[in-house]
Amino acid sequence: MTTSPRPRRRRPTRWTLVAAVGLLALVLAGTELLLRVKPLTDTAAMVVQDLPPVGLEPEPTRCRRDVDAATLERLREPLTADTRITSAHVYACPIAFDGRRVTFVGEVIGDLIERRDGVWVQVNDDDYALAVGPMGGHRNHRGFNQGLAVWLPDGLHERIEAVGGPGRRGDVVLLQGVLLRNDPDDGGGITLRADHLEVIAPTVEVPEPFHPVQAVTAAVLAVLAVGTLAWSRRVQRR
Amino acid sequence: MLLRPGADDLRLIGYYLGKVLLGLGIVQVVAALVAFGLREWNSLSSFVIGAALCGIVGGASEAKLASRQQLTWAHGMVTVALAWLVGAVFAAVPFHLSGHYEDWLSAVFEGMSALTTTGLSVISDLDHTTLSMDFYRHLLHFAGGQGIIIVVLSLFAAGGGRIGTLYVAEARDERILPNFIRTARFIFRVAMVFLVAGTAALFLALLVAGFAPGRAFYHAINLFFAAFDTGGFAPMQASVAYYHSFAVEAVVMVLFLAGSLTFGLHFALWNGDWRLVTRHIETRTLALSTSLLFAVVCFGLVRSGAYDSFEPLIRKGFFTLLSAVSSAGAQVKNGETFLSDWGALAPAAIVAAMAIGGMASSTAGGIKALRVGIAAKTLIHDVRKLLNPESAVVVTTYFAGKRHILRDQTARAATSVLLLFIVTYLIGAMVGLTYGTYDITQTLFESVSAASNIGLSIGVTDPAMPRGLMAVYLVQMWLGRLEFVAVFALIGYAISLARGRVSA
Repeated sequence: MTTSPRPRRRRPTRWTLVAAVGLLALVLAGTELLLRVKPLTDTAAMVVQDLPPVGLEPEPTRCRRDVDAATLERLREPLTADTRITSAHVYACPIAFDGRRVTFVGEVIGDLIERRDGVWVQVNDDDYALAVGPMGGHRNHRGFNQGLAVWLPDGLHERIEAVGGPGRRGDVVLLQGVLLRNDPDDGGGITLRADHLEVIAPTVEVPEPFHPVQAVTAAVLAVLAVGTLAWSRRVQRR
Repeated sequence: MLLRPGADDLRLIGYYLGKVLLGLGIVQVVAALVAFGLREWNSLSSFVIGAALCGIVGGASEAKLASRQQLTWAHGMVTVALAWLVGAVFAAVPFHLSGHYEDWLSAVFEGMSALTTTGLSVISDLDHTTLSMDFYRHLLHFAGGQGIIIVVLSLFAAGGGRIGTLYVAEARDERILPNFIRTARFIFRVAMVFLVAGTAALFLALLVAGFAPGRAFYHAINLFFAAFDTGGFAPMQASVAYYHSFAVEAVVMVLFLAGSLTFGLHFALWNGDWRLVTRHIETRTLALSTSLLFAVVCFGLVRSGAYDSFEPLIRKGFFTLLSAVSSAGAQVKNGETFLSDWGALAPAAIVAAMAIGGMASSTAGGIKALRVGIAAKTLIHDVRKLLNPESAVVVTTYFAGKRHILRDQTARAATSVLLLFIVTYLIGAMVGLTYGTYDITQTLFESVSAASNIGLSIGVTDPAMPRGLMAVYLVQMWLGRLEFVAVFALIGYAISLARGRVSA
């Protein structure tokens, strides 16, 4: 008489999956909790006062192919000497402002890139520059950074005290100059060639507040991780 | 008949996922050291938390899930598909804790984009973020570009036989050296040589461009990671346009090209075999397609009135085209101006270049030049068959490392993946259209960029974008990186978990 082989019992998979999903949920919930208890700073003082008004329509009109001269004139018409342009308006329709003299306000950010007769600098006019200050100390998300590339000839850039970066809002400057849609000195980039610079808000240090709960959590988890790895090595050696 | 996987199968998958997390943990430890050096304490604690979570899960899986069971193809495929998902979640821990991301989905999106070397970003206020967090974003490009699996193989693996399935499942089916471990280590050695040479070249270019030495080094290392691994992140929101330097752009372009070369060709170049490079079907396909598309880009830009001289056509037009072909995704102009300043033809050519992508078995994404080349050869083969007498035997060959005869199976495999990519592009574009705020140019551009792991953006991807669309792009990045098969295997595995029969 032949006997059929005894069926091999496979261990249930349900609890393995539940454990994996539970672990994932714990990671998500734990980090979310840490973020919610992060100390924040008051950003009210970061609003730049006495900005010239934006001279163009609040929602920029985007140029599409074969934009006609009348539309271009309509777009640029509201721009006057005592109003400012924004980078959003420039990128929405570069051709409308090509060769125009404009006023632009923003934070000097990153680096002063020194060349023979001046410097290139990025000037951001987003909300982090003009309204809420650098993130880290607050959670007011206002989208991407945005600004214009600016050429500052010798004699202008020396007035800049400091540029923005982590934990610091750099000088906020009012610039006047000519906007170029296709700057030959920048390989065809959109630039503002400034001839006037005025610092309207000085550099502000905004250090990110230390998060003690996060630091303690990190220390505890680090100890647990070292312990787990040591245990794992011991098990593997056996 | 579907067989339901048992706990032993899941143990094995969990064991290898743990190994991948240990690799990711090391990446976060490196970032933690940088944060410690820069005295960025909150960033330091967020990296320690991320690394510790990876260490706890990885260590526990090593201790509890080790198994004598052999890794099968199904295990390999499922492990790799899950590794990218789980990796993106654990990579997102420091991102989320930084507070620069609106929600968890945004942080995971950034993690997936970094690891798949896509480069689409949803970070708020990048220009004020801590230097170590920015470094971490770029380091993830490096880890992902070399392949999480490659990193794990190089650092942890003792034997190559069982883990070859992971390597192939990660859409790197080219074995340059006799075993997978040696192949992985060769790839890592190439990356290290380029790391030193590329960073040095960028450092010099940045010094000449007017940067202070410390800042030049910071930008150089981050730019290297992004360029060589055909990522797309940049230290500043303005991307490569920030540097205003042709020298920097030229070095970055060389690194794009190096990154988009198949590792087999790197091996040939390493051995001085230039002939193999010039005869390769991928080199020829890319050379031909890039030349044709560059002509279209130039015509489109001149016709639209965007540029009227040679230098901008190279520094803006050619750079962007190369960034698309190599799937690097670095930008030399604001994304919105593709729409508002470049007319219709040039962006269309960029979309075509993004769809084609770089070479197979490289850090590049997209359909891949190999498949496009084989599809073209198949078309020519079919025409030749029609023109010859019915009794004639028509043989078509192609050169990819050695001369191959074009077989139906190869042609079918290439065209199937090509079709899957096109369907994925279209689905992403259509989902974008359902929101009613974007037009087809925008949604197609962004969808192709996400699914091909490129990173160029026309402005659809931003921190406030619709979360449904963000989730679609996230899945597209994942699908594009794994070239579908591993993801299909995972779906099949999930179905068999739910509906398969328990084996006797």
